[in-house]
Amino acid sequence: MPAPTLDALDHQLIDLLSRDARVSNRKIAAELGVTEGTVRGRIKRLQQDGLIVFTAVTGFEMARKSRLSFINVQADVDKVRDIANMISELPQINAVLITMGQFNITAMCLIEELDTLVDIASDQILSIDGVHHVETSIAVKTMKYNARMAKITPYDAVPDED
Amino acid sequence: MPASDMTQSFNFDATDLNIVQQLRLNGRANNQQIAEKLGLTATTVSTRIKRLEDANQLRVVAVSDFAAHGFNFLLRVAVEVDGRPASEVALELAELPQVFAVHLVTGRYDIDMLVALHDFDDLSVLLLDKLSTVRGIRALTPAIVVDIIKYKFNVAPIEGRN
Repeated sequence: MPAPTLDALDHQLIDLLSRDARVSNRKIAAELGVTEGTVRGRIKRLQQDGLIVFTAVTGFEMARKSRLSFINVQADVDKVRDIANMISELPQINAVLITMGQFNITAMCLIEELDTLVDIASDQILSIDGVHHVETSIAVKTMKYNARMAKITPYDAVPDED
Repeated sequence: MPASDMTQSFNFDATDLNIVQQLRLNGRANNQQIAEKLGLTATTVSTRIKRLEDANQLRVVAVSDFAAHGFNFLLRVAVEVDGRPASEVALELAELPQVFAVHLVTGRYDIDMLVALHDFDDLSVLLLDKLSTVRGIRALTPAIVVDIIKYKFNVAPIEGRN
């Protein structure tokens, strides 16, 4: 991946907006000692480069007490990318990583009921051609999670600037 | 430390969910734009957002890419614990800045963590200087993240505002 070149101002902007994305450009400009135009331009560039998205993160209560679950997949090496793409298309799946290790794909999802996990892991993923083993585990407690950092992929639609 | 506390109860209605949906699409949309889309007043939108935020059920944030922080090397590490409660080990791991997510999990391993590093050299620091001092780790099973196809979480444990 190309290493983005971000300067101190970009990092200050990201830091400010990661705490509250609804601060106005005017307020940011005043706080950082730059013009509103600079703030607007920087934000636009960060969005266009796929380095930042603005979104709502809700607590588990609003998500009907979902549980984070991991589905670890062993798949044929020559089909890994295709299979990872197929898993990504499943609407219940939140994240898909291609890894080098004991498993070569990790899928993550938020489930409300165990039946859903069985359905996704066994019925939908294990049945994909080239997948030969699936293991699941459920997060019973989360000690740390930073929702402000992620991989921004084409699944994150970038809204048109007004 | 944010832990998923699922005991409190919080009431929300369709209007709350509609507002959250708009914020997911564009967290920088202003109250007036959201109000027009949903047929509400800007004051209602503002009040609802504040109520959700105050109840720690909503944060509207900038999510930035790992690459924006120079994290070009991600690892998923499964941890087996011995001779010490897994929750204690997980809390200690959560203190490490390189560790970006820590979950207690069911299944073959006790702890699942995501580690974000700048480059390969950071790995020896993490392994030899940091992880080696955490008591109770019996085995580490790492997987190198080669590619991330999808990474879209809208739910996270929400920490209180200080």
